[in-house]
Amino acid sequence: MIVGKKGKIKKMAENLSESGAGRSLWKDARMRFMQNKAATISLFILLSIVLFSFIGPYFAVWSYEQIDWNAMGSAARVGMPSIESGHFFGTDDLGRDLYSRVIQGTQISLMVGVLGATVAVIVGTLYGATSGYLGGRTDQIMMRIVDILMSIPYMFVLILLLVVFGRSIGMLFIGIGLLSWLDMSRIVRGQTLNLKNKEFIEAARVTGVSDFKIITRHIVPNLLGIVAVYATLLVPGIILAESFISFLGLGVQEPSTSWGALIKEGAGTISYDTEWQLLFPLAFFVVSLFCFYFIGDGLRDALDPKER
Amino acid sequence: MSLLDVKNLKVEFETADGVVSAVNNVNFSIDEGKILAIVGESGSGKSQTVFGMTGLLDHNGKATGSVMFEGEEILNLSNEKLNQIRAEKIAMIFQDPMTSLNPYVRVSEQMTEVLIHHQGLSKSDALKQSISMLDAVRIPDAVNRIRMYPHEFSGGMRQRVMIAMSLLCRPKLLIADEPTTALDVTVQAQIMKLLADLQKDFGMSIILITHDLGVVAGSSDDMLVMYGGEIMEIGKTEDIYSSPTHPYTQGLMSAVPRLNDSEERLTTIPGNPPNMMKAPEGCPFAPRCNYTLDKCNSDSPVLAKVSDNHFRACHVAKEKIS
Amino acid sequence: MINYIIKRIGIAIPTLLILIAVSFYLMHAAPGGPFTSERPLPAQVLANIEAKYGLDQPIWRQMINYLWGVITEFDFGPSYKYHDRTVNEIIGHGFPITLKYGFWSFIVAVGVGIPLGAIAAIRKNTWIDYLAVGVSIGAQVLPNFVMAPLLIIVFTLWLDWLPGGGWNGGAWQYLVMPVIALSTSYMASIARITRSSMLEVLNTNYIRTARSKGLPTKVIFFRHVLKPSLLPVISYLGPAFVGLITGSVLIDIYFSTGGMGYFFVNAAFNRDYSVMMGITIVVGSLTILFSLIADLLYAWIDPKIRY
Repeated sequence: MIVGKKGKIKKMAENLSESGAGRSLWKDARMRFMQNKAATISLFILLSIVLFSFIGPYFAVWSYEQIDWNAMGSAARVGMPSIESGHFFGTDDLGRDLYSRVIQGTQISLMVGVLGATVAVIVGTLYGATSGYLGGRTDQIMMRIVDILMSIPYMFVLILLLVVFGRSIGMLFIGIGLLSWLDMSRIVRGQTLNLKNKEFIEAARVTGVSDFKIITRHIVPNLLGIVAVYATLLVPGIILAESFISFLGLGVQEPSTSWGALIKEGAGTISYDTEWQLLFPLAFFVVSLFCFYFIGDGLRDALDPKER
Repeated sequence: MSLLDVKNLKVEFETADGVVSAVNNVNFSIDEGKILAIVGESGSGKSQTVFGMTGLLDHNGKATGSVMFEGEEILNLSNEKLNQIRAEKIAMIFQDPMTSLNPYVRVSEQMTEVLIHHQGLSKSDALKQSISMLDAVRIPDAVNRIRMYPHEFSGGMRQRVMIAMSLLCRPKLLIADEPTTALDVTVQAQIMKLLADLQKDFGMSIILITHDLGVVAGSSDDMLVMYGGEIMEIGKTEDIYSSPTHPYTQGLMSAVPRLNDSEERLTTIPGNPPNMMKAPEGCPFAPRCNYTLDKCNSDSPVLAKVSDNHFRACHVAKEKIS
Repeated sequence: MINYIIKRIGIAIPTLLILIAVSFYLMHAAPGGPFTSERPLPAQVLANIEAKYGLDQPIWRQMINYLWGVITEFDFGPSYKYHDRTVNEIIGHGFPITLKYGFWSFIVAVGVGIPLGAIAAIRKNTWIDYLAVGVSIGAQVLPNFVMAPLLIIVFTLWLDWLPGGGWNGGAWQYLVMPVIALSTSYMASIARITRSSMLEVLNTNYIRTARSKGLPTKVIFFRHVLKPSLLPVISYLGPAFVGLITGSVLIDIYFSTGGMGYFFVNAAFNRDYSVMMGITIVVGSLTILFSLIADLLYAWIDPKIRY
């Protein structure tokens, strides 16, 4: 009897290794992702933008807070983009170098996006996995709470937070992150419900592994694919939120800047013939967001073939 | 004259990876008041045959050939013309009663709309007739239950609703696409009995599509065995049952579990149905056949007469098949 | 159904209370009271003012007073900054403006988004489908704060068709750009959701059944396809409404329309907590009420949701 069982297990192991021998899930996904032209090109462009934001400053003639007194107040005549003056992207209305400011804004917007998404991913994954794994009444209550939070206009609460606790980049990404985990938690919960009935979870439970350990060791690692997809889609959402707040003037503080703040400044001066003040930051913003969406779509197709 | 006469029916699908041929040169006919069973594994083209006939193919599908119904060509008629035939003369029921009824619309509305549209009845008359049709398919308390939504019925009851709905206009031909596949075994028998009774009462013809030979045996006059989009064998049900002359039919027969059989293992046909993307030359069944000859892989066998009304498409001499 | 409504309202009310409590505590967690300014007031004066506004009482007491005022008299108290105006007056001034362009934005988002998505689904892989898909992808990266300046460049600076801002009692010229800027991205999302859900519905077995019944295309579309296709759209309406309200803040700032958002941002700069709270509560009640309506609509269409 025991021998028979051993044989069976051996056979099962053979089957498993057979199916795994071809390509691993991640290798397979990478191949599918590479085949998606829009996604690969987007990844390339996005990496270029990131790279630019790091090496760009070495080519800058002016720093992002230095005022070119020549251009101040007469940006329309003196501050246009030019190689000679060292203002590759022109200057803003105060005579500050837009090239350096766009680089700075890119760094800050991307950082807020990535860090905010990290906060949201951690909170959302743990919450969703716990809710889905525990199930029953706890699950119902936890998901009800998500429903409730979803109907609150969180931007107002966020602005209240920023006003009360003072405006800082840290507050900004923690605030946005803490308020954008809701979708994540729903998706993760759904996936957890699927995973929960799989044999290896059953096995772990039978052998007496604690719930917390099952969640962190077995469920969360298996959620990585879907989390990766939605994290990529979360980053542009958070960049949008940050830009929105900065556009209102409640986000990053001068002389620091971000895409939203730059777009706001550019948009405020469009009637003075200084359209480059809007177009440069806008181009960076729009292109990066496009890239994030295409990469996210590409990842989804690559990691979640059944979605297609 | 036959009620329905299908000649050289072909169904092809245009896909991103090329043209898929799902049904290839299918010929058959059915007389009034008869039951014809179309048998085959899933993917053998049974369903696409009838979808092609009635213009219900997906957008990328194309049917060619000829389908004569009551002496008139109906293949590839305009949607408006086909709509005058559908439900009124040719009605259909489908495999999965869970998903074939619209879950967001009350049963009453789904039934009455047929009568209102096709026969111009008033709402209340249509409702009355629908209720009596539900009575006819033996749904208890039809007066009240007709107001319900599909999810409030059990699987078997839902299939009864589907049947009642298809019979509202007293069609000449009922096409039943795997009507019992999604149901419990006991319910399957009830539904088959119901269909047989109704067929007698209404005097209609039925095309019964199934992969279950057990269903075919007691309930059909003629049968047609399909594989890889082609007809393998066609004839009277009793003839084919008593002496199957095609290796595939034989394989199907021996794969039916029998209670009185002393042998423990259930025979299966090795291999899988063919990939229709690259339809094999020659006989589609050749790769899985026990009797394969050289020419099976190169020449497609044509239907040849075995006896009256019994035809088969096979290169192997029928005496060799036992 | 009635049970469901009661249950759903039973969730809405605590949600609102939580929102109020959280914003109230946040407000009081702020360093410095509303009357701390650069030139410190004499201690006696400060104490008198605080007593006048009830700020000398324990915080829970203050909150209950506040809540009581809101519930019984719809009274949000005085503005801490503009001592001659109450929060009610400020909301009363801004709310109708927000409501007007918000309403039209919602109508445009739904009224254009759904037909666009539906046509794209029915005419899949034709130019109109590609157009709809293109628009909805493009609009994802054109949020209101990008749309607004672009619209001004085109319609005010280049074409000189529309005024670049202001309200003027809500005359249509002043309404067009705020509505377009606010609604575009939601219109695009609704079109995308409608398209994909309708494509799914068109592929279901029950639509094949409907076709096999010989029903006219119109009947199939309106009775069998439309309702289930709209369910995902309805679930999206709640979040979309929250987004519209949030976006209105930006519209008020950029187009100087003078809605609630204008007062909210001003209050944020001035640390005028009572105005911020009042507006947050009004807006929160609106979105909670709206998501309640959307849920009931969903339950009305989907028979499986009736508890």
